[in-house]
This record gives sequence, structure tokens and C-alpha cells, in this order.
Amino acid sequence: MKKNRVLNFSEAINEAQIQAMELDKNVFIFGQGVDKTALVFKTTNKIKDKFGKKRIFDTPNAEQGETALAAGAANAGLRPILIHHRVDFMAYTFDQFVNWISLWSFKSAGKKKLPLVVRGIIGKGWGQGPQHAKTLHSMFAYLPGLKVVIPSSPSEAKGLLLSSIFTDDPVIFLEYRSLYNTKEYVPPEPYFINLEKPRLRYVGQKLTIIAIGSAVLSSIKAIEKMNLEGAVDLIDLREISSFDYKAIYDSCKKTKKLIVVEDGWEKFSVASEIISNVAINNVGLEKPPIKICWPASHVPMSNPLEISYYPNEDDICKAISIVL
Amino acid sequence: MVKKKLSFLEKEIYFNINLIRSVQLAIIDRYHPEDKMKCPMHFCTGQEIMPSSIAPYLKKEDSIYSHHRSHGYFLCKKGLLKKMIAEFFGKVTGTNGGLAGSQELSDPDINFYSGTILSGALAMGVGDAFASKYKNKKNINVSVIGDGGIEEGIVYESINLASLYKLPVLFICENNIYSTHTNIKDRVVSQDIVKKISPHGLKCFSFDLSNPISLSLKMKKIIKEVRKGKPHFVEIKTYRFGSHVGPESDDHYGYRKQNELKKWKKRDPINQIKKILIKKDDFKSYEKLIQKKINKIIDHAFKFADNSKFPKEYKKYNLSNSYTKNIKFYENNISFGSEQEDHKPKPY
Repeated sequence: MKKNRVLNFSEAINEAQIQAMELDKNVFIFGQGVDKTALVFKTTNKIKDKFGKKRIFDTPNAEQGETALAAGAANAGLRPILIHHRVDFMAYTFDQFVNWISLWSFKSAGKKKLPLVVRGIIGKGWGQGPQHAKTLHSMFAYLPGLKVVIPSSPSEAKGLLLSSIFTDDPVIFLEYRSLYNTKEYVPPEPYFINLEKPRLRYVGQKLTIIAIGSAVLSSIKAIEKMNLEGAVDLIDLREISSFDYKAIYDSCKKTKKLIVVEDGWEKFSVASEIISNVAINNVGLEKPPIKICWPASHVPMSNPLEISYYPNEDDICKAISIVL
Repeated sequence: MVKKKLSFLEKEIYFNINLIRSVQLAIIDRYHPEDKMKCPMHFCTGQEIMPSSIAPYLKKEDSIYSHHRSHGYFLCKKGLLKKMIAEFFGKVTGTNGGLAGSQELSDPDINFYSGTILSGALAMGVGDAFASKYKNKKNINVSVIGDGGIEEGIVYESINLASLYKLPVLFICENNIYSTHTNIKDRVVSQDIVKKISPHGLKCFSFDLSNPISLSLKMKKIIKEVRKGKPHFVEIKTYRFGSHVGPESDDHYGYRKQNELKKWKKRDPINQIKKILIKKDDFKSYEKLIQKKINKIIDHAFKFADNSKFPKEYKKYNLSNSYTKNIKFYENNISFGSEQEDHKPKPY
């Protein structure tokens, strides 16, 4: 295995889909414009050439109908991957998640499963503005019966997407557009990452930082800037709806300090949920926990405002200085 | 004059209509004061004709995705009555393990699914048909909706998808005039449903309930075409005799004219079919035979439901946390550092 095999985030997603389609002929991809031109940030590159139009196809503007089609197809034994170029369009499909997909297994008393993946891209950055930058991850995670996966790096994206495709539960797979240029070694063979197990990226004694998706990279930048590698537990949540809390409680009990970083709105955020559970479970924090999220406001387009809107590594450094 | 005997088809349709009607009346009868069925229920008395007519041509592998007034379609998909009643009792032996009730009556064993949020079931049915075509199977999907549900945008998206991808779907719209208590005239400018659906490029028909046998023969032809991968749409003009929901009458609200109800009751599907079949010389004895059989099935179903246990588990059914493949998890230790560049916009 050559360790110098470096892929970027979209190449990793592309490889995961190709390998999934090779592993199982029931896997197919569809969505608006997914088989042509920009190829969804190149994440569907070469798939039509390899597998033909039966297994990847374009659709009309019918987000609701597409999502229901994915659900019905999954109910009849297929493993669909539906792609939305921006999460914002998924608002059309709320009924399908709220009233059908999320409760399908529950209301069949576990007899039926809906193994489907809906990939949604979070626009965050460069003028995407109030209708192209939403994440909505908390809204989806609020529903019982859905998994919400948010990868932080190329190697994570590949393994998490393969697991998302081959789990029997419905998965919403959210990709921060700001991560598409990130690069790292990605193993060539198909591999699967445990969706329930958060990843401990750094190990330390002084502070626990929990981060999701693009906030993992911001946190790494902050930790390196302050030379705190070795002092901080950095937990990459991976999946935000049904993960195992043990690693979080254990870490907080050890460090007694907590910062949660999340690229998403602060109200009803994953950060709020984690801090609430940490408080209830009395892990003995020595200082009040800090959450670093987007303001409770829609995203401004104007560039200077947009830059000030998104938390960055400097904001994380400031928070670290407060708790340490 | 030589009298004829009932054909197999006539017997089956007559049995189906009577089974559905008797089951509805038995549930209505026992709903109160027994109060063992504690869930909202939408009865289909008066609307038995379409499920009864298509039943002879459906195979086990075919699927039905139905609206909430679903009991008739469940029974005609050869769903077990005892599992249906047990579901209404909230018992673990019910179709949905007692967790969903009448509104979402579903049984994977017979490929029958339903739900009460208007039009989502129809839309999922299109996905089921997609899977059938994808796997080169011959089974079809029947997606059933009402004149209320058909107003939702998703219906037009889904019918377009079925037509565009040439999927084996039979869309059925049961037009009973009312969406809950609102007349179709107060809801839409154009009440011609077929006119609205036909531009989507699939064959559309509108039938009434005057002759259940000839309706069934028309549906036989249509289902044969659907099986070839040609989606079809059928509107059936019908009427519910009971209330929108529950066993009690809702006519005290005055949302429909009593003359209208009377007029439709004169055309009760059971009378319509009786008028035709009574000319057959074995009709009387067949009627007696099936009524006895149906009563027995109903009694058995209620006893089964009564004797079944309530479920204990529910939380664990939300997520399976299982995987299709025999998966060994990879411990990912590959890490990147702060040298990573942000996305360079090439705009959009």
C-alpha cells in the first residue's frame, strides 16, 4: 500500500461511490444534473462511463418525488444515492423525511429498512448567501430514525460514505463545500468506518474540543497555531444523531474543560445538545463550556460580513485561551 | 330460460365487496363501547368497489401503496384480517407490531403499505415500481390516492417520474368528492382530474361504479398494460357512506347534503352487483355461504386480537444499526494538518 496516494475530498467521495457500485449492483445514483457538466464538484466523475445511464441519471426538478422514489426503491431492495447540490433544496423534501423515511423501520416494528443515502452539499463561503449556505443538520438529527453523517477529511469521507451506503438505516450525508480541496492519503481498497464511533483525532489532558465536519479542520488549525497538539482531546463526531457518548464523557471527565465547534446555527445545535448531556451527566467541568457556532441569523452574502459571520481558527484560539 | 351459474370472477368480486363491507361494519359496531381499538380510523363503506375489482389480477409480489382509507385495499391484497384487527388493538401480533394503527396499516408480507399524510404513499409506490424495472421483474405497483391527496404537488412530480421512466404503476384516484369535509368544488377550479393528469403522457380513465363486473374486466386490461411497463391512471367516482374519520356520523356538521348521501346510497356497490348477479341461479346459496364464512373470519380475527399481547419494545425499532455486508470496521488514523487549503471558488 503506497502511502503517497493522495486524493482530495471529492475524489474520495467519487471513489467510495464507484466501489459501492462495484460491490453491489443495487446501488444507483440520481439527482438533478448529477451525470453531466460539473458532475457535482467532480464527485460523480466517470461513473456514467463505467456503469451506464441505468445506474446514474438526471432528474427533473422534483425533489419531493425524487426523495419518495428513493424511499420506495429502498423499500423494494435497492440502495439509492440521491444528490442535492445544496442542502437548501432538501427543504422541499421535509415531508418525506418527517412522515415517511425516518419512521419506516419504527412503524414496521423493525421488519422493514430503508437503506438510502441522501447527499447534500453545504455551500458555506464565497457569497453563497441565505439560500445556498444552510446546513439543517440539527433539524434532521432531531428526527428519530435517521443517521446524519458529516465527514471532516478525504479518508473519513470515503469510509463514512461506504458505511452510509451499506448500513440498513437511512442516512443524510452532508458535505461542506469548503472541504472539497482538502487532500490526504486515502487507502485504495473499500473500507468502512463505524458510524456510531466518534474519532479521537488528538489526545491530550488539558482540554476537550468536539468538532463536526469543516469545524474539525478549523480546530486543527487552532490547535497547531497554539502548539497544543498533545494537550487537547480533539473529537471528530462523524455522525451527529446516534453516536456513542462514552468517548465524550470519558474525555470531559479527564480534561474537565469543553469547547464544541460546529459550522451551523447556535440555537438547537449539536453543541447545545452535547453541552446539555454533559451537564446532566455531571462530568465535573471546572469552567463553563464554550460553544462556537454560527450566529442565530441567516447568512449574509456581502463579503466582509460573511467573513465575520463564520467562526474561524482565531475564534477557536480565543476560546481556548479563555478556558485554559 | 336457462339460468347460468356464477363465474369464478363474479364470485371473487362479490366476496371481496362483502368482506370489506362486513369488516367495516363489524369494526364500527365494536369500536364503542368496547374501546379496545384506540386509534383513529378511516372507514371505506361505500368505496369497496375498486379494491374488489382489481384484486383478481394482483400477484403477491405486486405492491400496493395506499392512502389512509386503506382497509379495502389491504383485504384485497389478501392481507390477514386477524393481523389487521390486532394492529387496531395495538397488539404485538398486528401488521405493524401494534405501533402504527389503522392510519399506517402496512404489511411487508403482502407488499402492502399505507400512510395518512396525504400523498407520500403514492410517491413511494413510484419508487417501488422503479425497483421492479431496475431488477427486470414483472411485478407492478398500485398507488392509491383520493381526490384530496391528488391536489398536492408531489403527485404531479411522481406521476411525471413514472411516465418519464416508464414505470409499471397503476395510479388509482378514489374521487369521493370530499377532502375531510371540504367539497371538491370549493377546492379546485378544474374538477376534471383526468384532464389534469393526462398531459403527463400516460393513459387515463375515469370510471363509475355502475357495473362492478365490467369495471373489473376493464381493470384487467389496464393491469395487463401496466405489467408491460406502461403506467396508467384511473379515477373511480365513488362516495363514502360514513364519516371522514371514526365510527360516529359527522353529518351533523352539515358539510354535505343528505339528498346527496341518499342518492349515492341508492347506488350502493353491494346493491349494484347484487342486481347483476341475482339472475344467476346459484346466487342465493353463494351469498349465504360467504356470509357465514366472512362472519367466521371476523369472529376469529377479534378473538385473535383480544388474546394477543401488547408490545413491550419500541425504541429499538427506530434504527437498526446493522449493515448489509459483513463489515469489518477500519480504524482510521490518517490525519491531515493545518496546511490544508480552503475551497477555491470557481464560482458556484
